[in-house]
Amino acid sequence: MNEPDKNKIDKEDFHLNFPINKGYIKRRKIYNNIAFILAVVAFIIGGFPVFHIVYSAFIVGYKYLNWHFISTLPTGFPIGAQGGILNAIVGDLYLIVIASCLALPLGIGSGFYLSLFGKKGINSIIRLLNELMVGIPSVVWGVMGFYVLSTNAGLGFHFGFSALAGGLTLGFIMTPIITLLTEQAVNRIPASYIEGALSMGATKWQATKSVVVKAAMGGIFTGILLGVLNIIGQTAPLLFTNYYNTGMPTGITGPGGAVGDLAMLIFIYIHEPSRILHYKAEAASFVLLFFVFALDIGMRLITRLTVKIFEFF
Amino acid sequence: MADNNGTIKNDIKIEVKNLNFYYGNYNLLKNINLFFKKNSVCTIIGPSGCGKSTFLRTLNRMNDYTEDTKLTGEVLIDGKNIYNRSVDVVELRRNIGMVFQTPNPFPKSIFDNVAFGLKIHGIKNKEFIAERVEKCLKYAALFDEVKDTLYKPAFSLSGGQQQRLCIARAIATNPSVLLMDEPTAYLDPMSTGIILDLITSFKKYYTVVVVSHNIQQAARVADYSGFFLSGELIEFDNAGDFFTRPKDKRTENYITSRF
Repeated sequence: MNEPDKNKIDKEDFHLNFPINKGYIKRRKIYNNIAFILAVVAFIIGGFPVFHIVYSAFIVGYKYLNWHFISTLPTGFPIGAQGGILNAIVGDLYLIVIASCLALPLGIGSGFYLSLFGKKGINSIIRLLNELMVGIPSVVWGVMGFYVLSTNAGLGFHFGFSALAGGLTLGFIMTPIITLLTEQAVNRIPASYIEGALSMGATKWQATKSVVVKAAMGGIFTGILLGVLNIIGQTAPLLFTNYYNTGMPTGITGPGGAVGDLAMLIFIYIHEPSRILHYKAEAASFVLLFFVFALDIGMRLITRLTVKIFEFF
Repeated sequence: MADNNGTIKNDIKIEVKNLNFYYGNYNLLKNINLFFKKNSVCTIIGPSGCGKSTFLRTLNRMNDYTEDTKLTGEVLIDGKNIYNRSVDVVELRRNIGMVFQTPNPFPKSIFDNVAFGLKIHGIKNKEFIAERVEKCLKYAALFDEVKDTLYKPAFSLSGGQQQRLCIARAIATNPSVLLMDEPTAYLDPMSTGIILDLITSFKKYYTVVVVSHNIQQAARVADYSGFFLSGELIEFDNAGDFFTRPKDKRTENYITSRF
């Protein structure tokens, strides 16, 4: 406190001796431009495959893109040479619904638990397991589904190659993604919301259901969207748990319980030595892309709407 | 409506005995001893990081949710230690309202913000809720400004109005103590003035504890005042003596450097 001289500024010095490096000022503009160009190049490299897929799928498959293609079952020889892909579209809906029934309550519930209720020690274990689940290759999930759900080798569920076995396996893949995004969404809510509710004597559950859920809605929907988009593209787990059905399913377990699936359809058609099936696979890819696109837009709209509606409750 | 406990002999509402608060190994609050009288306004001043907000949060157990913390000593409210195991934290917090530094209305309508406190305590009678919401908004000097927009989102209000809404929300559950953590820190002078007037008028019904950076504002509303410095209570006295004849040199330094 007794050494004010140390912090005292010589006024002349302060105003005159600001070293301006003119060379650097010129160079930093160049650096700025280089950074911009790099960003554009990265966009082109990253975006090219996407545009190429959309373009080539459309160019090859466009003549099959009509209402008949998406509204009829595959027929002819080899199967699919005539008719459309209705079996796969319906099958995808089956799988998404079954997977969501498992993954939404499990994923959203554990996300809430992690961010609101859990203790440090347990949380770190759950988080570790969750990240591990994200990292498990989908083919390993498929093998798990085969042993545990499809056959009675493991726990004795004997669902067969069916929508239920396939959907539940996909649900396990979807769960950690939703958990992760739910937790992030809840963590993004200002702590003051929760504190406000607690300070008025709300229990944690009351605070969660009346304040947190509404505020985190947008983030949770993003998690659901990412989860669904992820499983739409999965084939490996279905190889072992559902495989493929060229017709409509008659149930969700046992014989006749298997469903078609767009990703599997593409995989199978591309393997066939038949040009027409290759074209149809490309057309089906385009339909799948459109499906993904529509789902994305739809979810965004739903999110925006629900957030708006909830503002009034 | 002020107190449901006419049986208490003296007029002490909150008594803090040998309170120590640890964050990890760090001793944040050191041996605090003080008491707040019924129907008075007490202000707590001190520099940033001195533990005054933490102290306020020990009075309604909001620190329970912060991990790695430990508390020793006693906080007696109406003669009962709130850190006893048998104490119902939910009921405790109903009895002790809290207003935060930043206005934090819920993402709901103005009406529902105030009604929230009634609903979570199981009140379903709609007429009672409507009447109570109107009364609380009137107490908080907000009703005239929002009576036509009760069902609009609370975020459509200005910052000062939001803070008054939070005050209305806090008194809806009929507390007997009101804790305020720098309630005017982010507000313009007009809104600050309104809220300081509210605080003064509230002592008829509540025991009010206000934490503040601003010494002038603290002096304006206080009946009693305390000075915290790095986790210690340096001085606690009635406001007249505290602001004009502080006993401790450090209190004097802090007050005069700001005036």
